[in-house]
Amino acid sequence: MSNFIRWTARLLGVAAIASAPQFVGAQEARLLAIRDDATRDFVRQFVEAARVRGTPTEPLVSRALEGVAFKADRKRIEQAMAALEKRLRRSRDLLGAKATADEVAAGADALAADVPAGMIQEMKKLAPQRQITVELGVLTELVAKGISPKVAAERIKELMARGATGAQLTELNAAVQQDVALGIKPVAALELRGRGVMSLLPPPASVNSAQRR
Amino acid sequence: MIEESDELIVRAARALSGMPPTKAGAVARVLMAVRANQARPLPFWKRAMRRFDETSVSAKAAGLLMAASLVIGFFARGTVGNARDSFAGGSELSGPALQSIANMPAESRPVPVAVAVELANAKTVAVVGDFNGWDPSVTPMQRVGKDGPWSATVLAKPGRHTYAFMVDGATLVADPRAPRAKSSDFDGDASVMMVRTP
Repeated sequence: MSNFIRWTARLLGVAAIASAPQFVGAQEARLLAIRDDATRDFVRQFVEAARVRGTPTEPLVSRALEGVAFKADRKRIEQAMAALEKRLRRSRDLLGAKATADEVAAGADALAADVPAGMIQEMKKLAPQRQITVELGVLTELVAKGISPKVAAERIKELMARGATGAQLTELNAAVQQDVALGIKPVAALELRGRGVMSLLPPPASVNSAQRR
Repeated sequence: MIEESDELIVRAARALSGMPPTKAGAVARVLMAVRANQARPLPFWKRAMRRFDETSVSAKAAGLLMAASLVIGFFARGTVGNARDSFAGGSELSGPALQSIANMPAESRPVPVAVAVELANAKTVAVVGDFNGWDPSVTPMQRVGKDGPWSATVLAKPGRHTYAFMVDGATLVADPRAPRAKSSDFDGDASVMMVRTP
């Protein structure tokens, strides 16, 4: 019996030593999904360099793995990561140092959808104490539906200024999506549904007094 | 303590009595070989194993516990180790992972989202997206009934996510019921999921 315990302990020890590198970084382990050695080395170095620069690395790893899922070649993955890193840095500059990684990633998506940088900054100014990940996501989707970035951003800002929640904006996006599927023009759908959400919000005076409180 | 009348002892003594007498030279050779073996230093791994065997039971127990926790941690790293990884649906969430989710602020707390797709001829389907690292092994979908749609639940943070369905481990297919993701980075279709704040 003691021999059994002794050998079990030895086996467990060997297994623990073998598995130790996995604890160094879950992100690193995920990179093993990249079969091509050269691509994996590039991604690893790129992510490390981004980390040193203070750029959120999770969106970069995710983009690389997306490329692998889509069977993209190394050059394509490199280009996608370089472009995303540029947008992430710009987004972080716009949203401020306190912005979360998710928020910065959402800002980068908005930039990719041609949302003007100034609009992103103004949206953050409306909600400096909380994340605007959902708001930026809704904005990106509205622009993707064909609404001009300026019009969509103005509408979102207007709703945010009146105290619209992320959940209300998500519902607005879903409603616009349904309307567009029924053949209504995206801009008209946004106008209509935006007014609907606005009607549910408290008048500007009480929003301002609530903010003062 | 052992009685000489014990039948087993008697049989053993009888068997040994028939053995030839030992030679003094042979005994000396054996003793010299043992002494030479003792003088030779043991290799590192043998010394380490011997030291382990000499340690007290409590130290062994502590070592065993540590090794076991490392091994369990290794196998459970997908659900416990990395919070972001653990948000993928289809895998069981442990107590600590659920606790870490519960402690998050509402605006970044992942919520369960059901996804379903009709793919009649598919043999296997998995949902892949930025919420599970685009890894087809994380969220396999289950068929509803024999010929029904495929469904799964993923955990995703509030916000915009891109995803697709991996069919038969080879082909990526966009969700026909969701808006397409406008991305020029890679060839292929992905869909967009908007997750609302809980």
